[in-house]
Amino acid sequence: MTPDDATATHLQELRRGTTVLACLLRLRTPDYGYALLESLAGLDLAVDANTLYPLLRRLEKQGLLTSEWNTDETRPRKFYRTSPAGERLAAVLAGDWHRIDEALARLTEGDAP
Amino acid sequence: MTTTTLTDRYVWATVRNVPQRQRHDLDRELRERIGDRRDAFLEEGVDPADAERRTLLELGDPSALAADYLDRPLQLIGPRYYLTWLRLVKVLLAIVLPFVAAASVLAQLLAGAAVGEVFAATIGVLLSTALHLVFWTTLVFAILERSPDQARGMEWSLANLPQVRDEHRAKRLPDLIASVVFLAIFAGFIVWGQLGVTIDGESFPVLDPDLWTFWIPWFLGLLVLEMAFAGAVYAWGWNWWLAFANLLLNIAFTVPALWLLLSERLFDPEFLAAIGWPWGDAGDVTVTVITVAIVGVTAWDVVDGAVKAYRAGRERAIA
Repeated sequence: MTPDDATATHLQELRRGTTVLACLLRLRTPDYGYALLESLAGLDLAVDANTLYPLLRRLEKQGLLTSEWNTDETRPRKFYRTSPAGERLAAVLAGDWHRIDEALARLTEGDAP
Repeated sequence: MTTTTLTDRYVWATVRNVPQRQRHDLDRELRERIGDRRDAFLEEGVDPADAERRTLLELGDPSALAADYLDRPLQLIGPRYYLTWLRLVKVLLAIVLPFVAAASVLAQLLAGAAVGEVFAATIGVLLSTALHLVFWTTLVFAILERSPDQARGMEWSLANLPQVRDEHRAKRLPDLIASVVFLAIFAGFIVWGQLGVTIDGESFPVLDPDLWTFWIPWFLGLLVLEMAFAGAVYAWGWNWWLAFANLLLNIAFTVPALWLLLSERLFDPEFLAAIGWPWGDAGDVTVTVITVAIVGVTAWDVVDGAVKAYRAGRERAIA
């Protein structure tokens, strides 16, 4: 494993949990897979499609997202929306995220005990 | 007949991996995903056929994709069960194989097979037993890995910690194995010899059949005691009690054997005649050589035991 590969792996691990949080926050407005992929990429939160699609299914199975098929257009699309349980989880995750961020900031500034 | 597109084939290759009731849903989801991605390629100016190909190549192996969607493991036995599986396979092989080997050897000897046949048959039985053990254990764990209601693996506990290896005992292990194997082969030869050795188409027992009434069982019994003795030496190491027991066992074996040999009752006379071993007048030299050899080996074994007991005693005194 080259140093670059190792960096890529660590970055992937660091981002893994944040992808769930990003989806839960973004899908408070209902949207379908590809649009979500695009909008996350636009926010500089690029996610691999092979990660995102299965993740959406998994979150739906866990009751964190609800889904509905939209057949208005020629191509039927599955629209996902964050459920109340998903909202609660998003709050917990966001809280933890800020706590970690502050802790790491203290470490970076070097005034940790 | 409608034309089948690459997309149709790809979707079918993926959904056939999932249960029937989920196929419709996954089919629609995949078509949405593929369609949206292909449209994006088209907007970039890629030509339609190429856009489809590139989309499908991005999605990758359909089986892997289906497993991803279903949260299905892509390994036979995952980290949750791997260690339990490994431990169980090791324990099973270590317990079952020796018994199977011993049973096979015994059965073959009783059936009067030649040494080569015994060896070949036992190797075959061992291989197939090992194969069965590993295969069925692995199959059970592979099913466990895929069962939705995941039973907990055997919990690891402090009781599972191995005993630290007793170095002295570990050094005695080769001695134990050598003794037991040698004694088993010796006992095997006694029994096998009595079933009859074929010379020039005629079968003769090696030892005098009259000995079955008392002396052959006596010698076989002594061999079993010798095995127990080897186990005791392995467990406790040499000491003066064991050296003394060694002396008694040697006397109990050698004295009757020599007495039977010298009174010409040990071997079956017909067997000796058949192999052309001149007993009687010209046999004196042979008998003397055998006698000296037996006494020599016995004396060496007794002295060896005493020396080892002495050394072990000195080591204990120092430690």
